[in-house]
Amino acid sequence: MIITLLALPLSLLGAQQPIGKRLDGRVTPDVAAVVEELGSAASARGLPVDPLIQKAIEGSAKGVPAERVVAAVRVVAMQLDTAALALHEGGVDGDTLAIAAGAFAINAGLSGNDITALARIGASAQALTEGLRVAATLAAIGVPPAHNIDLIGIRLRSAKSPADLPRLVMDEMAHGSTPAQAAAGLEHAAGGGAGARGGQHGPPPGRGTPPPHPPAPPHPPAPPHP
Amino acid sequence: MSEHEYHPLVKQLLDGEITLAELPAELRAEGEAALQLLGMVDRSTVSVPAVTWRVMARLENRRRRALPWLLAPALALAAALAVWLLTAKPVAPASMVTVRFVLVAPEAHNVSLAGTFNQWDARATPLVRSGASGVWTATLQLPAGQHQYAFVVDGQRWVPDPGAPAVDDGFGRRNSVLTL
Repeated sequence: MIITLLALPLSLLGAQQPIGKRLDGRVTPDVAAVVEELGSAASARGLPVDPLIQKAIEGSAKGVPAERVVAAVRVVAMQLDTAALALHEGGVDGDTLAIAAGAFAINAGLSGNDITALARIGASAQALTEGLRVAATLAAIGVPPAHNIDLIGIRLRSAKSPADLPRLVMDEMAHGSTPAQAAAGLEHAAGGGAGARGGQHGPPPGRGTPPPHPPAPPHPPAPPHP
Repeated sequence: MSEHEYHPLVKQLLDGEITLAELPAELRAEGEAALQLLGMVDRSTVSVPAVTWRVMARLENRRRRALPWLLAPALALAAALAVWLLTAKPVAPASMVTVRFVLVAPEAHNVSLAGTFNQWDARATPLVRSGASGVWTATLQLPAGQHQYAFVVDGQRWVPDPGAPAVDDGFGRRNSVLTL
């Protein structure tokens, strides 16, 4: 009985594969060593390690040189740290899914302040995580952060899923709207404007100036490798 | 008790390997004496004095009393781990969503899909060409959540999905984003 009692939890703990094993055969030993080190440090700070592992595997699968893979993994580690701090400032601690979603939103063009603004709304961790994921998608579409956070904020406060927002924005864009115009139109239709940041901004639909560029990626510029 | 070293043949006799008759004549007397000595050994059951039993019984009692104390840390550790795991946030099974991926690539010889859902394995998820139109499709069951992916054309070219939003991949390219 005692052995069973001990074996059950230990076997459950062992279900999570170590970083080295997940990287085995997928990345070079040099990259694996760095990712293991970064992953252990991240894990000790309560950060998720899966985004680091995924980035390393992705880089190696794409044939990227090892030093660039390591650089990209370090950027992801920094984004995780930024997201965790931003969530902490918004009163959300220790949710690795929310941290990973926040880090990806930062990669897509949002800032730590944007994430803090969404966290301060006080939605459940699950709803916040979904909101951050949708915010990242909207940022990838080209919706400016101010509209993005307001749109997601309206949904979080009304406890409605924001999952349909990317499709609604893209539908508006198919009719000729810019991402900013599409988002502003949706904000207006939802009676929003107070937004997560509490201020009204953005032009009404059809009258705004389209953003000159989509959100700048946070990575250092790098030429495409062959 | 002094040790007596027997002749090797006498030792064989004592071990039952040879008989007395097989011993050389000059060794028979020694052999007989050795056998007599062996016969004198008392093989009756040895009785342990009662005091020994009492000592053993006390030791047994102490062992039994100590057992719970020895097992207590192990039980406490097991209980703590069990409580921690049982009270931890349950990992709900992610709901699966059917997704159809489409890429128009008339010139391609083969197209596959690589992303966070298949560990970026460019060979894991091939797309199927529909007729001669150059439309490549794959239908997958993916867990709800956020996924990044790209098409891999002819095993070499990584192409983002033209119908999906995309983000910088950190390597100078773009990954498509799918939120389910």
